[in-house]
Amino acid sequence: MDIRVDPGDLAEKLTMVGLEVKSVQPREGDFIFEAEVTPNRPDWLSILGIAREVAAVTGLRLKVKTDRPGLRPGLKRCDFSLSVENSKDCPLYSLKIIRGLKVASSPLWLRRRLEGLGCRSVNNIVDLTNYILFKYGQPLHAFDLDKLQGEAIAVRRGRQGESIITIDGETKELTPEILVIADAKRPVAVAGVMGGKDTEVSDRTSGVLLEAAVFNPVLVRRGKRALGITSESAYRFERGVDHGNLEKASLEAAELMLKLAGGNYRAARALGARKRFDRKISLDSSRVARTLGVKIPDAKIKKILSGLGLKVNPGGKGRFTVKAPSFRVDLASEIDLVEEVVRIFGYDRIPSSIPSIFGNVTRGNAMDLVAFIKSILVGLGLNEVFTYSLIDKKSLQDSRVEAPAAIGICNPLSREQEVLRPSLVPSLLKCVSYNLNQKQASVGIFEIARVFSLGGGGPREDLTLGIALSGERAEFLEQGQVKDRFGMLHLKGAAEVLFQRLGIKDFQFSARGKYAADIFCGGEKIGVFLNIKRSALDSFDIKNKQVVAAELSLGGVFKQAGLEKRIIPLPLYPGISRDISLILKEDTQAADILAVVREEAGSLLEEVRITDYYYGQQIPAGYKGITVSCFYRSGERTLTEDEISPLHQRVCRALEAKLSARFR
Amino acid sequence: MSGIDIASIKAKLNDEILAVASPEELESLRLKYLGRKGVLAELTGIIPTLAQEERVCFGREVNAFKAHVSSLISEKRHSLGAAAEEDAGVDISLPGIAHELGHLHPLTQVTQEICAIFSRMGFAVIDGPEIETEFNNFTGLNIPLEHPSREAFDTFYLDAAAGKEGRYLLRSQTSTMQIRAMKAQRPPLAIVAPGRVYRPDAVDASHSFMFNQIEGFVVDENITFGDLKGVLEFFAKSVFGKETKMRFRPHFFPYTEPSAEVDISCIICGGKGCSVCGRKGWLEILGAGMIHPHVFKNVGYPCGKYAGFAFGMGADRIAMLKYGIDDIRMFFTNDARFLKQF
Repeated sequence: MDIRVDPGDLAEKLTMVGLEVKSVQPREGDFIFEAEVTPNRPDWLSILGIAREVAAVTGLRLKVKTDRPGLRPGLKRCDFSLSVENSKDCPLYSLKIIRGLKVASSPLWLRRRLEGLGCRSVNNIVDLTNYILFKYGQPLHAFDLDKLQGEAIAVRRGRQGESIITIDGETKELTPEILVIADAKRPVAVAGVMGGKDTEVSDRTSGVLLEAAVFNPVLVRRGKRALGITSESAYRFERGVDHGNLEKASLEAAELMLKLAGGNYRAARALGARKRFDRKISLDSSRVARTLGVKIPDAKIKKILSGLGLKVNPGGKGRFTVKAPSFRVDLASEIDLVEEVVRIFGYDRIPSSIPSIFGNVTRGNAMDLVAFIKSILVGLGLNEVFTYSLIDKKSLQDSRVEAPAAIGICNPLSREQEVLRPSLVPSLLKCVSYNLNQKQASVGIFEIARVFSLGGGGPREDLTLGIALSGERAEFLEQGQVKDRFGMLHLKGAAEVLFQRLGIKDFQFSARGKYAADIFCGGEKIGVFLNIKRSALDSFDIKNKQVVAAELSLGGVFKQAGLEKRIIPLPLYPGISRDISLILKEDTQAADILAVVREEAGSLLEEVRITDYYYGQQIPAGYKGITVSCFYRSGERTLTEDEISPLHQRVCRALEAKLSARFR
Repeated sequence: MSGIDIASIKAKLNDEILAVASPEELESLRLKYLGRKGVLAELTGIIPTLAQEERVCFGREVNAFKAHVSSLISEKRHSLGAAAEEDAGVDISLPGIAHELGHLHPLTQVTQEICAIFSRMGFAVIDGPEIETEFNNFTGLNIPLEHPSREAFDTFYLDAAAGKEGRYLLRSQTSTMQIRAMKAQRPPLAIVAPGRVYRPDAVDASHSFMFNQIEGFVVDENITFGDLKGVLEFFAKSVFGKETKMRFRPHFFPYTEPSAEVDISCIICGGKGCSVCGRKGWLEILGAGMIHPHVFKNVGYPCGKYAGFAFGMGADRIAMLKYGIDDIRMFFTNDARFLKQF
């Protein structure tokens, strides 16, 4: 092919038809193109295939020599028997016998070409099989004729207990899953993947059995995977090689062998159908227009497809019957042809349009709720983190978190990917530890991600909110810096804000010992607050700092969320506020105080809150100080002092009587 | 009786308040009476020690006195303030007072920004599971289990008994959402689905075994390749700026045909060529194509009735380009000094 195009321009053209050229390097007057070949185009794994594409995009003519008259006459009867156990495993197998040759180093032109392809030169025999592989995409293998035992070649499955030492020197156990080439005694190659060490061509080789074949791609792939080896041959076989090219490639290799190594071509044998694999596909030009949104003239369609080496027979009214040649294993249906047309026509020539999309109703969508929750937590001063869903078993144990058994990963690359996490806590502790070690005075983080466990119906995943807080944050207020040390009440505060903003009214927190509290929502336990134990903190290298963490199942939260809002009319009458400062026994629960106030005050009490609590010098040991703020209001009239004072007095007396409260 | 004469305290206070000449003096007076250990605290402290009948009476007196003190101080503050209007005022160079906000992770910010663009075009944003079946991750998407095209999608398998649709695995791409959505409903469909995906890749500056994708797809009766181009061009200009150019290159994906890799003009050099784009002037940002007829067949749609396009992009990659991040691991280390920049 006579290419008179600037290499850069050619690279651009090939890239824009789907053969992405990654780089173009000048080398000794030539240019080396490095391209990414997609798995659907094994034909591009050869110089011939690339040349066909170059012809299609440049309009240049590709001239391929067809006949090899030099090899035809003088063949003797082939002494080798050939058997193929199952033609599905190996649809086509051809062998050629060449004797009296001399192994030597390759001529300079051959070495140069192989080097340009990134292939190491070995000797003239091996090099020329590689050369043909790159030229036609047809893998070949040369066996040392004298090392084959018994004049028989069999293509069959490996047998239990058999093994082979491959060219790379490794011993590989074979199984019936693996297709092999065997002589009369033993396997001599893993079909399509790699030859055996025993029958490798060496400096002393004088005769060669040259193999050219087509193997079942799936078997080659399995063989390659089972043995953990890969090769240029396997790479091509598993993607599909051109049945139609096999004999041509094999003959050219034999001819080249005679030319480079002398010897004579003695015999040949082949098994399998060398049938043409031209598939007939019909194409309707209206399908092209419907897919692309633009009409490409029939004549243009025909020209593009013909340019790609496809036989196109117009059937009238924009219909075509297209024959896909054997080298295009990827073409099987109409849509494949549509792609060929638009690929060459040019994606850039398809006009852009905007489809009319009928909007979807997404009210109350979980994604929106997640975004809402994230914005609330950010508003509370927490930073969002993204941590890995896969963790190691040890950090899960170290965190001492109560979680269902973790689901293991069958094929982790490292210990850090052993299991799918059943809890966010270990990851959050790692993150806290990292940041404390970076000398952050406080860490306040959250993550919304899935946790995983094995349920009755298989693996399950639950969208979960995790929060971890540690250290003290400094706030600047009018009176200067105030230190705010993170503790479990910060977790409670965050949860309350979330519930309130999500319209959830039915929630409770219930302490479980000193280190944990359960969160209930709609009567269902949906999460926990944890004060992480010292022993766990030590395992995470967290020193001199407390960490509190929360985990909430968002599925449980969403179930209770009520985003419908109805307003409560603004009050018509002013209310009266009364504060009570109490001294109480240390173990008195705030909830009990509020309950007494509510019970005693009745319907005129609009709100009661704890507004302050303190321990310290003014308070006797074993006691605590609490300030309760009561707000009284009536919906029907303005309350007077005279009305409220007796009521409030009753409240105070009730606190005294029921909780032994003293007033300050 | 308590033996405390509130009236005399009151008289003393009246004298003291007259003598006050500055806000500082007023503050110390306020502390003397209303502070934590002030006169009123002392008076209040006496109340519980009294006999029941005295308590109420004395309590009222103390309350009334407290109100009196407060109002006196507040009046005085007013009169002092009028004189102090010529004050130097606040030192505005002091730190402002505000509650510190947290920061959304950059991946969330990029994902939300991208999803919002598609929402404006009428797409629904949905979420889906990360544990998948072989059917949804491979077979349904026209990726045969034993084909080299699977090599691009190496996958983590779970140690759990296989279900009806094959073994369980971690999804290696968000395209699984195409199968899920189409199995669940008939067109018209316009969906974007962001989420985590997993592939057993060795971790380095540009590879991670967990990363984030955003899948999008539209299915209806007359969706074209031109529509795909129009939608993605709108997206690119919305994210990277009006001047952004877009280039569609033919490519191969098992679940789309025709398929494309999509480049944008380099956001650093504008297309002239620089180190970020490898002197090419283009940056690859996503893969796309027309949904393959086999995929429609696999979800049970009638043959030939529907057409659609799909695209998938890496949220991590787009965030890296947008923010100039050169190491994907920074997203998962969560260094506060990094997060606080967003």
